[in-house]
Amino acid sequence: MHWGDIIENFDFLMKGLTITLKLALVSVTGSLILGTILGVLRYSRIFLISWFAVAYIESVRSIPLILFIVFIHFGALPYLTGVPSSFFDSSCIALIIFTSAYVAEIIRSGLNSVEKGHIDAAKSLGLSRMQRLSYIILPLAVSRMTPALVSQFISLIKDTSLASTIGLIELTRAGEIIYERTYHESEILIFIAFMYFVICFGLSKLSRIWETKPYIYTEVRESIGANQ
Amino acid sequence: MYNFNTSVIIEALPYLIDGIKITLFISVISTICAFMIGLITVFLRTMGTGFLKFIAVFYVEIIRNTPLLIQLYFVYKSLPALGLMIPPIWCGILALSFYTGAFISEVLRAGINSVAAEQYHASISLGLSKFQAFRLIIFPQAIRIIIPPLGSQFINVIKNSSLVSFISVTDLFYRIYKGAVDDFRFFEFFMIGALIYMVLTGTIAILTNIFENLFKIQGRMAKT
Repeated sequence: MHWGDIIENFDFLMKGLTITLKLALVSVTGSLILGTILGVLRYSRIFLISWFAVAYIESVRSIPLILFIVFIHFGALPYLTGVPSSFFDSSCIALIIFTSAYVAEIIRSGLNSVEKGHIDAAKSLGLSRMQRLSYIILPLAVSRMTPALVSQFISLIKDTSLASTIGLIELTRAGEIIYERTYHESEILIFIAFMYFVICFGLSKLSRIWETKPYIYTEVRESIGANQ
Repeated sequence: MYNFNTSVIIEALPYLIDGIKITLFISVISTICAFMIGLITVFLRTMGTGFLKFIAVFYVEIIRNTPLLIQLYFVYKSLPALGLMIPPIWCGILALSFYTGAFISEVLRAGINSVAAEQYHASISLGLSKFQAFRLIIFPQAIRIIIPPLGSQFINVIKNSSLVSFISVTDLFYRIYKGAVDDFRFFEFFMIGALIYMVLTGTIAILTNIFENLFKIQGRMAKT
């Protein structure tokens, strides 16, 4: 085994890790914003808008992410802007488009989980449609959909590895560059997998702590599916 | 305005259909293997004790928290170093099966947890062994609840199988990409590619719905 390769190229790998994290952070923020907008638009009273949101969500969810990344990088962005797009921009846009559909779906199920009683009470207090959404429904829904959102973002962090296929030098591509030179694939791949594991597993454990905290806005809810 | 050239797609259609066959072959085989792996894992996890349970949890957590692309590269590039020469397509199937197996085991675990614990205790007190209780009492009830999530896992396998093109398997995505690069017709090929993937996943979604209604037991609902 040649674990020395990792120590020799540690700085290079860490540079890749920073880009992975940066990509993940930008995509998480973007997809959260776009996903929330889509999730709310789905409940719009104007037929065309809600229909568009449904069509977007359903079609994006049934297409592989790699198709988006490659299409946006080589097809759509250069055609729209007229200049070759940077690796970071195109993978970021692809990740946002892809994840926002899933986020919208999570937002929808969160909104659906709000009991009808709350909405009726808000109506009887004279809150407008927008006020109901922003003061009553969203705060209730947010605390319930945190676990699903976190697991979606964990899979987004894993999906950033696909940006390596168009040439963005993030963690996976950095590792590839090293083992294409040294031919010690196993060690580098195990190390990269370990880095992803630490980030994703740490995040899921953090969210577990968050989940066990009492719900801020809601009543204490019985956990679903008690373990045997 | 971009001028669409449909003739390149019509020319490439037989080539793409071969790709669909490979994609479906990989997806179906890996889903079946993944279901087996998931079943074994969830049995070890819920019924096993000590070391076996630890192995099951370890496997699930490792696989779920690392990217599929790295697992594919690992299988493709590290197994030959150990003296195992497998054709790329079977490397892809191996990696996809283990990847999806971890997710399916989580789905199965959720289904098993939704079966009331009293049923397990009752079947043990009736003298069934742990394996019999799992096979005869819990599994038949759990499988009905988890048909929809299993269907979505199958859809995920179809989508994830596009990654095997990076270990030189000529599946659907590889052929779309190659067609687009060869003719420099990105829009046409990606539109048709997206359409094919949508049709494939949509069919699975409809089939899942049909199966769900087929196996539904009247009046039986998941414990909430």
